[in-house]
Amino acid sequence: MLFNTPLFFFFFVIFIFFYGFVFLRKIPRTYFILVASLVFYGAWNWKFIPLLMFSGVADYFIAQAIGAADNQKSKKAWVSLSLAINLGILGMFKYADFVLLSVQDFLRLFGYDAPIATLQWVLPVGISFYTFQSLSYTIDVYRGEMEPRKGLVQFTAALSFFPQLVAGPILRTRQILPQMHAIPTPTWEGIKHGFLLITVGLMKKTTADLLAVPVATAFDGTGPVSLVETWTGVLAFAGQIYGDFSGYSDMAIGLAILIGFKIPLNFRLPYFAVSPVDFWRRWHISLSTWLRDYLYFSLGGNRTGHRMRNIFITMLLGGLWHGAAWTFIAWGFFHGVIITATHYFSGIKAFASFNGSPSRGITLLKWLITFYLVMIGWVFFRAQDIGSAFSMLGDMHTISGLPAPASSAGLMFGLVVLAVALMHLLDRFVLNKADWFESKKWLFWPLLALAMGLCLLVGKPSQEFIYFQF
Amino acid sequence: MTTERKLYLRLFLTIIIGMATAMGLVRLVTYLNNASGSNFLGRVIEAREALPEIIAEEKDLVMVFGSSIVRAGYSARHFDRTVNAMGADIKSFNFGFGGLNPYFQDYLSRRVRESFEQESRRMRLVLIEFNPFQTTKTRWRRAEQVTDSFITMLTSDEELLEIAFEDPERGALLYNIKYLRDNVSAQMITTHLGGMFDEPNQESDRPGMNEEQQTRFDEIAGILNTAFEEEYPDYVPSQWSYEWQGAGTVPWERPAETVAMFPEYYSLLQNEERMENDLLFRIRTADAVELDFEEVLIQRFIAVVENFKPIADQVEVILLPRNPEWIDYTPEVAARLQTVIERIERETGVPVRNHQLIDEVPPRAFRDTTHLGRYIGDIPYTEYLAEQYSSRLIDN
Repeated sequence: MLFNTPLFFFFFVIFIFFYGFVFLRKIPRTYFILVASLVFYGAWNWKFIPLLMFSGVADYFIAQAIGAADNQKSKKAWVSLSLAINLGILGMFKYADFVLLSVQDFLRLFGYDAPIATLQWVLPVGISFYTFQSLSYTIDVYRGEMEPRKGLVQFTAALSFFPQLVAGPILRTRQILPQMHAIPTPTWEGIKHGFLLITVGLMKKTTADLLAVPVATAFDGTGPVSLVETWTGVLAFAGQIYGDFSGYSDMAIGLAILIGFKIPLNFRLPYFAVSPVDFWRRWHISLSTWLRDYLYFSLGGNRTGHRMRNIFITMLLGGLWHGAAWTFIAWGFFHGVIITATHYFSGIKAFASFNGSPSRGITLLKWLITFYLVMIGWVFFRAQDIGSAFSMLGDMHTISGLPAPASSAGLMFGLVVLAVALMHLLDRFVLNKADWFESKKWLFWPLLALAMGLCLLVGKPSQEFIYFQF
Repeated sequence: MTTERKLYLRLFLTIIIGMATAMGLVRLVTYLNNASGSNFLGRVIEAREALPEIIAEEKDLVMVFGSSIVRAGYSARHFDRTVNAMGADIKSFNFGFGGLNPYFQDYLSRRVRESFEQESRRMRLVLIEFNPFQTTKTRWRRAEQVTDSFITMLTSDEELLEIAFEDPERGALLYNIKYLRDNVSAQMITTHLGGMFDEPNQESDRPGMNEEQQTRFDEIAGILNTAFEEEYPDYVPSQWSYEWQGAGTVPWERPAETVAMFPEYYSLLQNEERMENDLLFRIRTADAVELDFEEVLIQRFIAVVENFKPIADQVEVILLPRNPEWIDYTPEVAARLQTVIERIERETGVPVRNHQLIDEVPPRAFRDTTHLGRYIGDIPYTEYLAEQYSSRLIDN
């Protein structure tokens, strides 16, 4: 079920009715959240509900076992079991075929052309999100950062909480589980902010869907397009993936707020970043902090003298998290390279003084370089394969030899730039002016209705969110 | 009422009122732009609404079903006059609709079948046009923008419910388009607004006439318009006219001097430049020359034939005349088309008659690269059909 569809609207209206007027006590409400979340998930494919529940039930009992264990060895064994279950599920469903096909391709290099049978399993939607969330519970309990809590229903309801179930933000159990036990009451101020975030999210999602057209022209065509259309396509994809994913996150946060739950921010103006490191502090924050806390720190973080290696491995696996394809690995590799390069140059005095300069011109230059690098990364992320990615990178940096642009190419480029900029300006407005805006009733509600009307007027409501596939 | 309940009531009402306001804005914009379902499929809707009247006709019924090629190329009243003069007692109808590929024709033909079955009525003859370029991948791709809207207008409530059960998300979307958006989908509006970025399907403003020819053309067009208004003072504008059985005017009820103007009118239109332009349009929008067939559309066409079989004594598939001066198939394309024709015959058991290159309809009978011209094309072709089918329509 997608947030931007009529079905979800009907679902949510019914949910609010029962949640607000029928189930008035905490325990029934928790049960109702669980049931509603499973209905939400089952609308996509009910056959995968048991898998989601298995992951949750297993981690619930493993966390209890870790809490009850009286020695480190037992705790370690239990957390290893949790890792094996969650990463095993993820591996089988998401990566098994990729590994098998890669082995087959590798063997072909040496003349062995034996076909390998693949599993061809359907990838359960949201699996990468809920397995990471579930894992955070057992790891936190293992590390002593959280006490295991009794209440299987609360835990499974927290894990399957429908606003963030299928495309994040990836919540830590310690962020959501206490709320599920407390069942918070919303405030009217919070509800207004929730509506604002939902509307902004929907606007960004609608914009992202519209950007899909120039993206397809550049990435899915049968041959090269003009220089301006190539750049338009890459820039449009930068906007599309941002609008799509951050739009979903905004809607998820807004929906949760409507019933009093708090979900942390997942994006903070990522295209305003002035270095690759800064970009990752702003982009998909829930994933980057998860990888930092549970992978980078587990590898030793900054302490072992292998900082660069650890960053590199983290980024590489971060790329792989997005999908089982060499393009995602290349994307992770590329970000690993530019982040380690940034850290490396930061150690050089001349660069450090450049980096620390308060000059606006230098900040602008840093922003330009960062944005350019991020765009290069998106080419790997979106391309059909590595060869196409390099071909497009070549096209982006070629002056001659490409076809002439279509008559509307210039206008399209301008509109794409405008769309990407507007999405960021909208976010900046929400970050800085939300309180002011929400206090002006006469402006707030009409503008929200107008924006919602515009989103309903255009677009393709059944267009899936890109991050669902991860 | 507790404070919390009051809060949830406020939240609930805000959601409902907010969405109603937003949806109201959508309706306002579509209303102000005169966009509604009936604008897109007005002819289809009018024809569908005429079905009870058609079924109530006492005469034997004949239907020619197909695309805009049928609409332009078949004169129902001329056919009736010709075959009835030979001893038949029939009334035929032109069910040719532009913009409906077989995917949509399938839904429409189900509605026709339901109506006939409900009244236990049968037709004497149904001729179903197989239009090759209505079944191409290009045609299918270009229909995506209107699919949801058209489905909401052509499906029955039961079919819509079936879709909703199979895919609740799509079902809810279609119900929303049907009942809250007056059949106008967001995608349709988006595509319309995005039209400014499309490369033109035609080289625009290329009438291909010199100043003198343009003046003459405008003069004839003016005379014909005035003549129409004078000759049909009671005509009620409609997209599918019951009085005219879904087709246009006929030459034998018009003054000779009016009819005499049509050949000159079309000869001015049929200039090289305009025809080239039109060909380009057919290629870009329908792949009319290469014919890369789309499997879904072929299957749907077969379904159309199957829908008519239970309600007609005789069903035949026909290919209407093609303008070989402009649409010429290579041997590979011709072979591809032949394979599809043979498949239709095999899977439906219905004969396919290929009228694409008949002597009765020369290239000058067309008004563009695909459609027959009024009187110069529809009449000769209708007479050809009368000759081919009259014997089957006359009771012994």
